Amino acid sequence: MNRWITALLAVALVSVIFSVSIGKEVSFAEVLSVLWHHATFGYGASPDPLVDRIVWQLRLPRAVLALIVGGGLGIIGAAMQTLVRNPLAEPYILGISSGATAGASLFYLGFFPPLLSKALSMPIAAFAGGLCAILIVYSVAGSRGHLSVTRLLLAGVAVASLMGALASFITLSSPDPDKLRSVLFWLLGSLHLATWNVLIWPAVAVSIGLVVLLMLARPLDGMLTGDEAAHSLGVPVELMKRILIVLASLVTGSIVAASGAIGFVGLIVPHAVRSFTGVIHRRVLPASFIAGAIFLLWADLAARALLPGAQLPVGIVTALCGVPFFLILLRQNRHGFG
Amino acid sequence: MRQICLLFLVVIIAGCSASLESERTVQDDLGRTVPLPSKIGRVAPLAPNVTELLFASGAGSKVVGVSAYDDYPPSVDSLPRYSVIPTDFEAIVALDVDVIFASEQVNNPRDADIFAAVGIPVYFIAVNTLKDITRAMRDLGKLLGTSEAARRRATQLEDSLTQLAALTANLPEKPNVLFLIEVATLYSFGQGSYIHDMIDLAGGHSITRSQSLRFPVLTDEFVLDSSPEVIAGSFGPGFEKSQLLSYHPTWDILPAIVSDRVYRLDSAILRPGPRLVAGSWELARVLHPETVTNP
Repeated sequence: MNRWITALLAVALVSVIFSVSIGKEVSFAEVLSVLWHHATFGYGASPDPLVDRIVWQLRLPRAVLALIVGGGLGIIGAAMQTLVRNPLAEPYILGISSGATAGASLFYLGFFPPLLSKALSMPIAAFAGGLCAILIVYSVAGSRGHLSVTRLLLAGVAVASLMGALASFITLSSPDPDKLRSVLFWLLGSLHLATWNVLIWPAVAVSIGLVVLLMLARPLDGMLTGDEAAHSLGVPVELMKRILIVLASLVTGSIVAASGAIGFVGLIVPHAVRSFTGVIHRRVLPASFIAGAIFLLWADLAARALLPGAQLPVGIVTALCGVPFFLILLRQNRHGFG
Repeated sequence: MRQICLLFLVVIIAGCSASLESERTVQDDLGRTVPLPSKIGRVAPLAPNVTELLFASGAGSKVVGVSAYDDYPPSVDSLPRYSVIPTDFEAIVALDVDVIFASEQVNNPRDADIFAAVGIPVYFIAVNTLKDITRAMRDLGKLLGTSEAARRRATQLEDSLTQLAALTANLPEKPNVLFLIEVATLYSFGQGSYIHDMIDLAGGHSITRSQSLRFPVLTDEFVLDSSPEVIAGSFGPGFEKSQLLSYHPTWDILPAIVSDRVYRLDSAILRPGPRLVAGSWELARVLHPETVTNP
């Protein structure tokens, strides 16, 4: 298993260096000199201030945000799929992302008072919205201990529409057209707002998510066998479900607050990863994290390359990749783990 | 049953006959063939720049209603309002207009089909260059029977532009200019916009002239790379220069920021109509305050 992780980490590192080198006017040597200058805390000659800003303050935070968001969506996708024991689950499909978007846009347009600080209130609003959405979906889908996959997906679609409509209503009824344009862009899921400061909350939340899920790796394995079997293995099933729902909302909320709702990463990545690592969470989770990070980084590179100099929301690229994948999974009709 | 069928037939025939009253056909700026009545008494514009063009062409008295966004000239305040995004067909039809004038930038050509179905022709106006403004005014004058007034006003505007061009023609330095629509998300104008004409005329180079999209969202990196010497925008009334740096902290080394050449322009610059002439002068005054002094 270490072989896979090492290989994935190497790919991630190469992808980051590639990502910060792509674009005009900056040579590869200049990029390396900027990275070296910061990695050694200012050792050697200072790089050109223009190149320094482009590489260190614009491209690198964006690449790191892609890693955090992609990784976070990857592990949350894996956890959600275990929670509902179905490979079609994902924060976007189950409506958490839309709920978080609705919460965040309510806050952004001034409907909620800032609770602590502005940087913290937006993720909290997004978390609350996401939690509401998943609680509705989950309570509709389950009855007498049994979770209906059809109802889960349909409820996810319905709640996602509702939350999307709510977010659009808030956005369109905003009296401030400048804010309107900004929100519309962000509703589609985009990494263009990345700065080092924006990274902090998603980084904290995703780290918490990764650590907690890794600590729960064994009970998660148990949950794959079904509620009763897991119970007999000594897994506190109901507690686990609650933890997973709150954790998924927390991570998704902080991600959405930074980058908007980017879909389908949590669907594609764990699925692809399992074919290499098997279903054991001790392997699936770290591999999903790194693979999700790499996937979103490349998706963002594609979005940047399609319209050079202008912005294309990365959510469009992930949807273009993700929806066909989702449909194939749906068509295969294997509502279980292969 | 038969009576209902008959009634239905009558309604259809009545509907058809409504669109047969036209006495001439013209081509609008989209190349569509538009049937027009020979005498036009009541018109409705579907965008604020169209209203301004109609008034400048001497046809202001024929305007019987304006969009919810209209605010110029001040006399529009007393006219009935209707929504144009999305189009409120009922409200406009209820004004009993002869012709509707639409903007290629704002309105959807499919709206015209719906108006055509009730017998109201829609004429589209496209303004992509400064020359288009006076051309559109002369066209409107001809269509609405106010040729003389339209021609006079158009000539005045053209003279004003010629005068400005003479002032800025031989300037030694033409700064790189970034035009922005707002501060946070970097919406700007790309290929085929009148904005580049205005910046040229005002004695500058627009850095977004060759952007492939009409309304691109620029990246911070693109702006850093093009190092504009002047940033001008139709920023909202609460705009302060410090906002640019708080949204785009990497811009601290841009020549425009270093030399404090950031300007808020009258929002009329977003409206491709006759006031772009005054807008060009305003832009020229901020680009070359020592050369361009009088309006």
